[in-house]
Amino acid sequence: MTLANRLRNIAVPFVFGVAFLAFWEGAVKFFKLKPYFLAPPSKIISNFFSNASRIWDAASVSGMNALVGLIAGTVFGVAMSFILSRFRFLNSLITPLAIALNAVPIFVLVAVLNNMYSITSEIPRRIMVSLVVYFIVLVNVAKGLTQVKTTHLEIMRSYAASDIEILRKVRVPNAVPYLFTALKISAPAAVITSFVSEYFGGSQNGLGSRITSNIANSKNAAAWAYVLGACLLGLVFYIVSVVLENVASRGGGATDNTNK
Amino acid sequence: MSAVHVAGVSKIFNQGTPKQVDALVDVNLTVEPGEFVSLIGPSGCGKSTLLRLIANLLEPTTGVVRVNEKTAAQSRLDQDYGMAFQQAGLFDWRSVAKNIELPLELKGWDKEKRAARAQEMLELVKLPEFADLMPWQLSGGMQQRIAIARALAAHPPLLLMDEPFGALDEMTREYMQGELLRICAETKTTVVFVTHSIPEAVYLSDRVVVMSPRPGRITEVIDVNLGENRSEDTRAADNFFAGITAVREALRGTHADHANAGAIRGVEDR
Ligand SMILES: Nc1ncnc2c1ncn2[C@@H]1O[C@H](COP(=O)(O)OP(=O)(O)O)[C@@H](O)[C@H]1O
Ligand SMILES: [Mg+2]
Repeated sequence: MTLANRLRNIAVPFVFGVAFLAFWEGAVKFFKLKPYFLAPPSKIISNFFSNASRIWDAASVSGMNALVGLIAGTVFGVAMSFILSRFRFLNSLITPLAIALNAVPIFVLVAVLNNMYSITSEIPRRIMVSLVVYFIVLVNVAKGLTQVKTTHLEIMRSYAASDIEILRKVRVPNAVPYLFTALKISAPAAVITSFVSEYFGGSQNGLGSRITSNIANSKNAAAWAYVLGACLLGLVFYIVSVVLENVASRGGGATDNTNK
Repeated sequence: MSAVHVAGVSKIFNQGTPKQVDALVDVNLTVEPGEFVSLIGPSGCGKSTLLRLIANLLEPTTGVVRVNEKTAAQSRLDQDYGMAFQQAGLFDWRSVAKNIELPLELKGWDKEKRAARAQEMLELVKLPEFADLMPWQLSGGMQQRIAIARALAAHPPLLLMDEPFGALDEMTREYMQGELLRICAETKTTVVFVTHSIPEAVYLSDRVVVMSPRPGRITEVIDVNLGENRSEDTRAADNFFAGITAVREALRGTHADHANAGAIRGVEDR
């Protein structure tokens, strides 16, 4: 891609965004919309900066829940996928279940989890994020460990390779791109689950709960300022996942560290 | 001393079920050390099955398979053979050199020795400066040469190949045939080579084993030794065409025995 092309790729959405904000600002002024109905962007942005430290605190809470859940879910998901790939029977039992669970909004479980822990605990939300991430990682990594080319397996068997050697030299490297795909899907899902799980009670310290409480108090501009914070946090997780994906796909796959 | 000895072998898949397939019945074949033997026949006649039995990737239903005077299982454990398939089957996450080193890693060789042998093999297949490239950076013909280098890296006495040039264009294919003959002469490797191209079988082989399907079996073995110094001129020589005619006749013959079968399907006549 040339520099001119790249600039154009950035400039077009940027100009569109600015135009959209100008239109929003103008519409609020022109129709004299009440501030509790829809705040103008200028007010939202000034609110964002005057509340920056509080928004930062709330973002840290939601972000930490998402991060802890992402890491824990990935660790357990990878561990379980190894167990599944070892036992075909378990795999045929659990994989359809995991796929089905991915299709339903399991984050409502957080309401049940909230009852099991103290009202100020962050654990239910972190468990919830872990669960969502766990199933995504499990399904993808298990696929990577089992869907290995027949030719590769026959070549390994012709070299009298043991199951462990086949695992280390074929299955694991084959699964690495699948893990990064899972992380790319999981990172935004973790943030969203972290926000949404705040709507089911517990302490009112995260971005999700701040948005609801500000709306309840008719503080439209403040609510939008927190939404802006939520967008930025989501963007951070998304960028991290895209970077991870690029690292993974560099050189057409993972690098082999199995035999140093 | 024989390189491969197959005696009274049959292979029946899904025995006793409605899906039963008599892939091979009563197959006998002996390959001498240094010999180049091709297996030819229409699709489904059991060529790949016979090769996998020799490789001990499958167990025969009856009969015995011996490789290098040992059981097939023991020779697999001893890595007495290398194998190459229609798909090069290189590992995307390994560099070209690391792909060639794989069988040596599994044998427990140390790093310096592996790297030296990989370079030696790269020179053998005439791709010496490709060590650090990744497989997807190579053309199909180059990938197949790397696969051959990998199969021969541990200097096995026997090379088993299942339609290794089947996915290549005609020009590359003829070039690879010449290269394979040169490499096998240099390394004194015995080869069992599956193909469904008559000219390929005749050009490469000391003997061509003609097979026929339903049930899979050997119907004829044809001597077509074109001599040590085969070159591109050999492809225009009379004894080359004589060999092609002989193999073609043998393939027809198998079908005449089973009159209901029409044309020889799955065999390329080019
Ligand atoms: N694993 C298997 N299970 C059942 N049938 C098989 C299996 N492998 C091969 N066959 C059958 O055995 C016959 C011979 O197959 P194959 O050796 O692959 O033939 P070729 O390589 O000559 O085309 C075919 O009818 C094929 O469908
Ligand atoms: Mg075949």
